[in-house]
Amino acid sequence: MHSTRHGWKWLLSAPALVVLVLAASGPLLIVLVYSFLTPGNMGGVAWVPTGEAWFRVFFKRDLFEPDVITWNDANLMVLWRSVWLSLQTTVICAVLGFPTAWFIATRPPTNRPFWLFLITIPFWTNILIRTFAIQEMIRNNGTLNTLLDWLGLISAPLDLLFTDFAILLGMAYVFLPLMVLPLYAAMEKLDFRLVEAAYDLYASRRRALWHVILPMVKPGFIAGSILVFIPAIGSYVTPRVLGGGRTMMLGNLIALQFGQGRNWPLGAALSVMLLVIVTAALVLYLRTVSKESGGPRG
Amino acid sequence: MSAEIEISGLSKVFGQGAGAFHALSGIYLTIETGEFFTLLGPSGCGKTTLLRMIAGFEQPTAGTLRINGEEVAGKGPNARPVNTVFQNYALFPHMSVRDNIGFGLKMLGRPRAEVAATVDEMLRLVRMEAMATRKPSELSGGQQQRVALARALAPRPRVLLLDEPLSALDLKLRKEMQSELKRLQVETGITFVFVTHDQEEALTMSDRIAVMNAGRILQLGTPHEIYNTPSDRFVAGFIGDTNVLSLAVASSGVDGVTLAVPGAGTLPAASLDGLTLLVGQTVTAVVRPEQARLCPLAEADLTATLEQTVFFGTDTHLHLRLADGQGFILRRQNAADEVDPAPGDRLGLRLARGALRVLRD
Repeated sequence: MHSTRHGWKWLLSAPALVVLVLAASGPLLIVLVYSFLTPGNMGGVAWVPTGEAWFRVFFKRDLFEPDVITWNDANLMVLWRSVWLSLQTTVICAVLGFPTAWFIATRPPTNRPFWLFLITIPFWTNILIRTFAIQEMIRNNGTLNTLLDWLGLISAPLDLLFTDFAILLGMAYVFLPLMVLPLYAAMEKLDFRLVEAAYDLYASRRRALWHVILPMVKPGFIAGSILVFIPAIGSYVTPRVLGGGRTMMLGNLIALQFGQGRNWPLGAALSVMLLVIVTAALVLYLRTVSKESGGPRG
Repeated sequence: MSAEIEISGLSKVFGQGAGAFHALSGIYLTIETGEFFTLLGPSGCGKTTLLRMIAGFEQPTAGTLRINGEEVAGKGPNARPVNTVFQNYALFPHMSVRDNIGFGLKMLGRPRAEVAATVDEMLRLVRMEAMATRKPSELSGGQQQRVALARALAPRPRVLLLDEPLSALDLKLRKEMQSELKRLQVETGITFVFVTHDQEEALTMSDRIAVMNAGRILQLGTPHEIYNTPSDRFVAGFIGDTNVLSLAVASSGVDGVTLAVPGAGTLPAASLDGLTLLVGQTVTAVVRPEQARLCPLAEADLTATLEQTVFFGTDTHLHLRLADGQGFILRRQNAADEVDPAPGDRLGLRLARGALRVLRD
């Protein structure tokens, strides 16, 4: 009786399995395979296996002397910038998100849905439109510069657009809710009596925050950081609109290879690189976290 | 003895206007150094609010609060020589037992070696040496309780506040922890202020008890005084079981009061000082169930009809009805050679001297 029941029960998960295999694993496999092929003339791939795309992720040959090999610093710079900007975005979101989530979590329970609702408002508008709105705010004749000029604080417009600062601003704005919501979820479960216990045991506000509150909401920081870092490192729209062509991130470089570059294998190899970075970051993060909470503490 | 905590005219009002809730009204209280002092009352009586005010979690609306002679109004919990054992223990779940116990000393900036030595001493005191590296989640309720005690005692506070610390434990463990608490208090000599709604806990452990209701202290005294000479009906009813009777005053004079007992003439009664009683006036009188015993009808102070017997193991409660219809419960210790009377029997009762007490309503 039991065995027959279990016999067909897995079928219930079949639709999900089909979607996962076809929609996730399938394309990933195609990308991986393409990264080992030769670029086609008009885009696409020619079925000639080669490691050239992977070679070109890291190295480049001299135009006139193909035997002279140097690091492909342009690609590596983009890789590094993507990681660096995404890390900065994560930190900015954590710093801004903590007080926001704290504010919401300490409202009376009946008011909290209202504040959470406000957090979700940006999701109502397409990210492209929101990003163009930021462009409008910070461009040379934009809202911010006009205001500062009118106030007499600046004589020449600040060059904000098409800088790393602009990208950081845009990404922090876009991804902030993804940090606030898991932080809020962790804080909502926080037992405030533990904070009272810390005060009672002579902790100042700052030390209660450091020794009790932060360790307790750490799962929220972990979830929030993952939710921010992963989409940040793959960002396309924000660096495209706010970084212009000057400051590129990995997403833009990949798009370029599949578009004007007409080098699909290189684009595919860069995509796999992105996946590797994200996976490595996740594994590293989760390992340090579990090590910290598992072992004895002094 | 000197005063550890002096509370004068302390009030606490939550909210404003018509919806304001008077959690405490006009509390005057002195707690002596080294005393095991209990705040006893039903939930919502203000005992926890009073405790939280001593701890510094709540600020008084009016009145003064001195700890060791120093006014503490406006000082936070981290600036008072007072530590709390919380009802749910509130142990830090991410820290080991050691780190929990050492937290207060660490926050006080004590040297590492001193913290370690004190933690070891505390672990010994609460007999938790073997559990030092465990996390709170790996401990039983009783063990968590001990850690919470050790954590609060480690900084050597002048006063230890305990907010119903035993309420989450099962009966057997609770009894164990009661004597454990008493032992710790005697060993450390620290003033304990204990909050409970369990009258038995209060009677067994306390040096003095304040019985509270509706934001006021109704009676303040030793467990004996509270139990044997309750000042009013609420205290008599809240502490232990009691029979509350409405009886008429038969005589009132310098040599005492007698009350008319239905179907049995008059009985002498103890009365509160300063209570004016007029002959013929109906008053409230109480008798503890264990202060009446069965006797032959000829020697009886009063007679009653048995309605029901309830067996409690060590003793049996006889539910009786007096001649005028008032209920009366008599508690009788069980002995193997005694035969319980049957429902419907007419029984004679004798009261212990001073058992019948007239109360303020």
